[in-house]
Amino acid sequence: MAAFAQLVIIGLLAGGIYAAVGVGFGLVWGVLNIVNLAHGALVIIGAYLTWQMFAVWGVDPFLTLPIDAIALFVLGYAVQRGVINRIIRAPLLFTFLLTFGLNLIAVNVLLLIFKSDFRSVTTAYSGAGLELGGLVIPYIRLAALGIALVMAAVLAILLSRTRVGLAIQAVGSDRDAAQLVGIDLRHAYAVTFGLGAAVAGVAGGMIAMIQAITPTAGEPYTLQAFVVVILGGLGRVSATVVGGLVFGLVEAFGQSIPGSGSVFANAIAFGVMVLILVTRPQGLMGRLR
Amino acid sequence: MNGLTAGFAAGPVLFEIDMEIAPGELIALVGANGAGKSTLLGTLSGLVRARAGSIAFSGRDITNARPEAIVKAGIAHVPQGRRLFDTMSVEKNLRLGAYARRDGDIDAEVRSVLEYFPALKDKLNREARTLSGGEQQMVAIGRGLMARPKLLMVDEMSLGLAPKIVDRLIDVVKDIHAAGTALLLVEQDVLVALDVAQRAYVLENGRMVLAGAAADLRDDPNIRKAYLGL
Ligand SMILES: Nc1ncnc2c1ncn2[C@@H]1O[C@H](COP(=O)(O)OP(=O)(O)O)[C@@H](O)[C@H]1O
Ligand SMILES: [Mg+2]
Repeated sequence: MAAFAQLVIIGLLAGGIYAAVGVGFGLVWGVLNIVNLAHGALVIIGAYLTWQMFAVWGVDPFLTLPIDAIALFVLGYAVQRGVINRIIRAPLLFTFLLTFGLNLIAVNVLLLIFKSDFRSVTTAYSGAGLELGGLVIPYIRLAALGIALVMAAVLAILLSRTRVGLAIQAVGSDRDAAQLVGIDLRHAYAVTFGLGAAVAGVAGGMIAMIQAITPTAGEPYTLQAFVVVILGGLGRVSATVVGGLVFGLVEAFGQSIPGSGSVFANAIAFGVMVLILVTRPQGLMGRLR
Repeated sequence: MNGLTAGFAAGPVLFEIDMEIAPGELIALVGANGAGKSTLLGTLSGLVRARAGSIAFSGRDITNARPEAIVKAGIAHVPQGRRLFDTMSVEKNLRLGAYARRDGDIDAEVRSVLEYFPALKDKLNREARTLSGGEQQMVAIGRGLMARPKLLMVDEMSLGLAPKIVDRLIDVVKDIHAAGTALLLVEQDVLVALDVAQRAYVLENGRMVLAGAAADLRDDPNIRKAYLGL
C-alpha cells in the first residue's frame, strides 16, 4: 500500500511538469491548428534563461519564472507574427515543416551559445524535501506541481473571462466569423502563440531545477506534450492538465514494473495513447464534436 | 462599389460588379446557387480580396481593408450558415458581436437585441450549438446588430428554416430597417427577398445582370422567367 501511495505521488509530481509542458502546446494546437514541433525548444529556451540568470547572475530560480514567461511571450508573439502567420492557411504539412525548421534553428542557436555541456541549477534547497512515511518529496517538485496547476488555472480564467481570451476562443471556434465581428486575426494568433510559449518557458524554468539540460533536451517534451494533449482531449486547459497528470501516473507505474526502466515506461505511456486514440479519440475529458 | 472583380486562388468569381446602396435602404441580392452572392459579401467585409475595382463606404475607400476596420466603419456581415461560436454561450456570442466597439454600453445593446428576439431571453446561458436553427439565426443576426452597423448584410437568412420562422425573421428585418439601418439581404429564396426589399440586384455567373425596383422585378413575367426561375 505504501509503495502504491509512493507511486501515486511520484506520478503526480512528474505529471505536473507534463501538464505545464502540454498546456501551451494544446492551446496553440486547438486555436491555431498548428502542431508546433518547436514546442520543446521553447521549453528548453526557458530552461536556459533560468540557468543563465541563476548560474551567472545569482538569481533564485523561482524568481526567474515570471521573467521566462515574459521573455517567451515576446519571442512567441514575434515568431508567430513574423513567420508562422505567413503560412497559417497553408496545409498542415507546411506548418510541420516550418516548426520543424524553427526547432532546428533554436537548438543550433542554443548549441552556439551554451555548447552541448550538461547544465543544472542546484540551489541550497535542492536536496531538501518533505519526509512522508519513508518517502522524501523534494520541495522543488512539490512547488513545480503547484505552480503548474496555478498557471493552468490562470490561463483558463484568462481565456474564459477576458476580452482577449474570448477573442482567442472565437478564433479557435471559427476564424472567419471571428474576423467578421472585428477580431484582428494576426494579433489574436500571435497572442495565442505568445501565451503558449510563455507557459512553455515557465515549464522549462522548472525543468532546469529538476534535471540537467542540454540544447536537445527539449525534443522528448514535444512528443510528451503531444501525448498529453491527446490523452486529455484537445480544446480545454483543464483537459490537458488531466492528461498530464494521467501521463505522469502511467509512467510512474510503468517504471515500477520489475526490470522495466524508462524505455519500457515510455512504451507503456505511448501504448496508452494509442489505446485512447482507438477507444476514445476525443480524449479522456474531451467533448464529442 | 465600382467595377469590382474578385475571387479566389483558382480565379475570379465576380466580374466588374457595380452596385450602390443608399443610407437606410433595404436591398435584395438574388441569384442561383454558385452565382457569387456570398463571395460578393465576403469582398465587402474584407474576407475576399478584390482584384480590380473599388468599394467605398460613407465616403471612405474600404477596398481590401482589414475585416476589423470594415466592421468599425459600420458594415456587419451575418454569414451564410450562421457560423456561431458553437461551444460558447448565446450571451458570449452576442457580446463578441460588439468586439470592435470601444464605445457605448454593451449591456444596453444586448437588451435591445433581445427586444428584437424575445425568444432568446431565457437562452442566454445556453451553448449556441444547442439552439434550434431558427434560434441560431436569431443569434447570428443579433451578433451582427451588436456592432451597431449602418449596413447589415444577411446571407441566406431563410435557408433551411420553416416558413413560419422565416416570416418572424422577416418581421424583425423590417423593424431593423424601420430603425434606420440599411440592409442587404442575400437570398436564393427570391420571393422572400423581393417581398421586403425596396430595390434588388440579380447576380448570374458572377455578373450583375439586372437591377431595379424589387416590385418591378417581381411582377414582370419576362424577368421572372428569364432571371428568377419562377
Ligand atoms: N473559399 C472558396 N475558395 C474557392 N472557390 C470558392 C470559395 N467559395 C466559393 N467559391 C466558388 O465561388 C463561386 C461562387 O460561390 P458563392 O459566392 O458561394 O455563390 P452563392 O453564394 O451565390 O451561392 C462558386 O463557383 C464557388 O465554388
Ligand atoms: Mg452563398
